Amino acid sequence: MTMERHEKAYARWLAIGARIGFAALVASFFIYMFGIIPPGIAVTDLPHYWGLPVAQYLAQAHAPTGWSWVHRLPQSDVLNFVGVAILGATSIACYFRLIVDYIREKDWLYVWICLAQIVVLVVAASGLLH
Amino acid sequence: MLDPSLLPWWAWPLLLFAVTFLLGIVAVIGGIGGGVLFVPIVAGFFPFHLDFVRGAGLLLALSGALSSGPGLLRGGLASLRLAMPLALAGSIGAIVGAFLGLAMPTRVLQLSLGIVVLAIAALMWFTRHGGETLARTPDRWAAALGLSGRYPEASQGTIVAWTVHRTPAGLVAFAVIGVIGGMFGLGAGWANVPALTLLMGLPLKLAVGTSGLTMSIMNTSAAWVYLNEGALLPILHVPSILGVMLGARVGVRMLKKIDAQAARYIIIAVLLVAGGRSLLQGFGI
Repeated sequence: MTMERHEKAYARWLAIGARIGFAALVASFFIYMFGIIPPGIAVTDLPHYWGLPVAQYLAQAHAPTGWSWVHRLPQSDVLNFVGVAILGATSIACYFRLIVDYIREKDWLYVWICLAQIVVLVVAASGLLH
Repeated sequence: MLDPSLLPWWAWPLLLFAVTFLLGIVAVIGGIGGGVLFVPIVAGFFPFHLDFVRGAGLLLALSGALSSGPGLLRGGLASLRLAMPLALAGSIGAIVGAFLGLAMPTRVLQLSLGIVVLAIAALMWFTRHGGETLARTPDRWAAALGLSGRYPEASQGTIVAWTVHRTPAGLVAFAVIGVIGGMFGLGAGWANVPALTLLMGLPLKLAVGTSGLTMSIMNTSAAWVYLNEGALLPILHVPSILGVMLGARVGVRMLKKIDAQAARYIIIAVLLVAGGRSLLQGFGI
């Protein structure tokens, strides 16, 4: 059985995104744990915060919401969010790749499904919803 | 919730790694995602607040789905065409669920989590012998979306034709699964597979693979919400992801030696204990 062209491309992009995301996630974690780069919140202070509901944690620790973590880079605790963002962006990139194939094949129903999925993911990623 | 001063701060991520390593082994052998075990156990027996545990649970499920997705597609064991419309419904549901979960009072959430986890244990018990009712002809929606194809059945050395039926009901089911998954950070494999097999008539092997692919998209949308709302703590999610993924690798090697049915009974027992604990926490006991 031959694999569909779309599935081949999707699998390739997914594999690349997942690998880069995991590498960033793990590398940044060890940078944080070993204090290689100074963090916004010291690891030794975390036990004061990790039992709090997120609203209280944000108020007391002045932790970032939305995309404001980008302005705090390269603090080592928010550096980890780069890996999370890469993992979160992987499916979006895969759908952009897919849409090209579906347009070429004039499979308009799946073009619309791709577009709708991209809109949903981008809106979720944007931080516009509260 | 446990008192964090019981152990030095660095012992908690190490303990988390050890527990999630075991969860990874059991989850693979029992054929379920790690998220459904992770959230009730870590929320019940670790000092982390449920908000962060749910965020970590979603990232855990997302990581597993992303890493297995390419292999499933290359092996012909997942249908991207089927996953796409279901994932669209599921990801909208997951965003709604994530916001609902973050807005709910902790007690209500713990109580609801306990009920959901006990219901999952019941679902696993009643579907433990599998049982497929394969779709023979596609419904109108499945025909319009082109939801049929073939996949390799390695155990028989054959190529098996598949299609689905009850597509509108399947879309609704995935939207509801998305809401529950996003709300509690449970992933969705525990419900996706029964929805695909029992409701839509997909062969089990293809359902497992397609479920993984669907999860990678559904969990992405909810994970963005948790990141934007500040509900992710690296000290919680990174050791957990590493533990479950390493455990899953060991679990795959043990798969041939250990009875999968026995592993499912262990999972059901663990879910009963963790669900019961969550219920008690919800009642303030």
